[in-house]
Amino acid sequence: MIELFKLLLNDALFSAVPAVGFAMVFNVPTRMLAFCAIGGAFAHSLRTLCIYWGVPLEWATLVASTSVGLIGVYWSRRYLIPRPVFTVASIIPMIPGSYAFTTMVGIISLYSNGFSEPLLATIIENGLRTMFILMALSFGLAIPSVVIYRGRPIV
Amino acid sequence: MLRSFRHSPEPVQAPVRIISLEQQTEICRVAVQAGRIMQQHGAESKLIEETTVRLGKALGLESVELAITANALILTGLSQGRCITTTRRVYDRGINMHMVCEVQRITIMAEKQLLGVDDVVKRLERLRPFKHNRWLVVFMIGMSCACFSRLFGGDWAVFAMTFVASAVAMLFRQEMAHRHHNPILNFGMTAFVATSIAGLAVRYDIGNQPQTVMAASVLLLVPGFPLINAVSDMVKGHISMGISRWFFASLLSLGVAMGIAFSMWATGVSGWL
Repeated sequence: MIELFKLLLNDALFSAVPAVGFAMVFNVPTRMLAFCAIGGAFAHSLRTLCIYWGVPLEWATLVASTSVGLIGVYWSRRYLIPRPVFTVASIIPMIPGSYAFTTMVGIISLYSNGFSEPLLATIIENGLRTMFILMALSFGLAIPSVVIYRGRPIV
Repeated sequence: MLRSFRHSPEPVQAPVRIISLEQQTEICRVAVQAGRIMQQHGAESKLIEETTVRLGKALGLESVELAITANALILTGLSQGRCITTTRRVYDRGINMHMVCEVQRITIMAEKQLLGVDDVVKRLERLRPFKHNRWLVVFMIGMSCACFSRLFGGDWAVFAMTFVASAVAMLFRQEMAHRHHNPILNFGMTAFVATSIAGLAVRYDIGNQPQTVMAASVLLLVPGFPLINAVSDMVKGHISMGISRWFFASLLSLGVAMGIAFSMWATGVSGWL
């Protein structure tokens, strides 16, 4: 139990920093950076908790991004700010960057080093993982406006 | 909290006003300008459409129709049977959520009838993109990538190497962006810089898993916002915008992979695959 708690704390700490860092690249207003940190820490540790309970990676991602999307509705209505301002920065730590780049480096290597089956398998597996995680992230964020608000503006 | 979910704010519908042709033209210009600012600074299509339509109606048009394409906006404003159509070219100005927030705020104020057309024009003209201090951004991005390396299971030596590699890369990326280089070229060259520095960790075998430095130090180049916008555009019905954003993000990733591959070939250090 203590181990799990330490794991989650570690996760929350090391994903809050990237959320703030990328929020600054997106020029999120200074007073909103704290929300990005909270969202990032919450989302990534929720995903880790789900994975710990045995949920597959993509579904865990969907759960985490849906909860960030719902929290985003509350914050955006309270501060009258569009939702992507918090939510996209919060899920940045979960974006499958390594998988995406592995796919692309693999494609280049497939050409330069010649065809091999293990390489093709790496490319396809990583590419599919990238796609499904991205779809889970983005669809999760869209759930409040697709399911609850259905076309009405949130703010 | 529950109450804020249940009650959706009904937009205050402005009474249909009798407006002159000049006023109608003016309102169309303001509305398309608001949409243009949003698209230039990286808002998703649904938000762009929603904002222009709401702003146009709040200022007195009967209806507003907006067509969004990858690099132009086409808006038609209707009033008393007259149509005015106007097109604006959209240039990518980089993602800036501050501008998106401000335009949204102006729209809400116009909708509550707190601002007239002239005030909205003045406020939109006065908007200047807010930028965080660049050295602070360099430091934070270095820390971000270093934290990613920690999440991948690296120790503190890996953390330090990743910090150096990605901070230098971020500085390089800012310089390239400042000189208005093509984004794909910018990302490719930045990936080259990051991977070349990270390759030192593999060559001198620093830390418990030196390969992690190479993987984590290029994560500052993940096109996260375009990818998320792409999927959410497609989910919300703007398929063609979604496809063009998706393709652009893929090209950026391909540029990054080219930079990584070139660096690995030039330095002879292999860290991926």
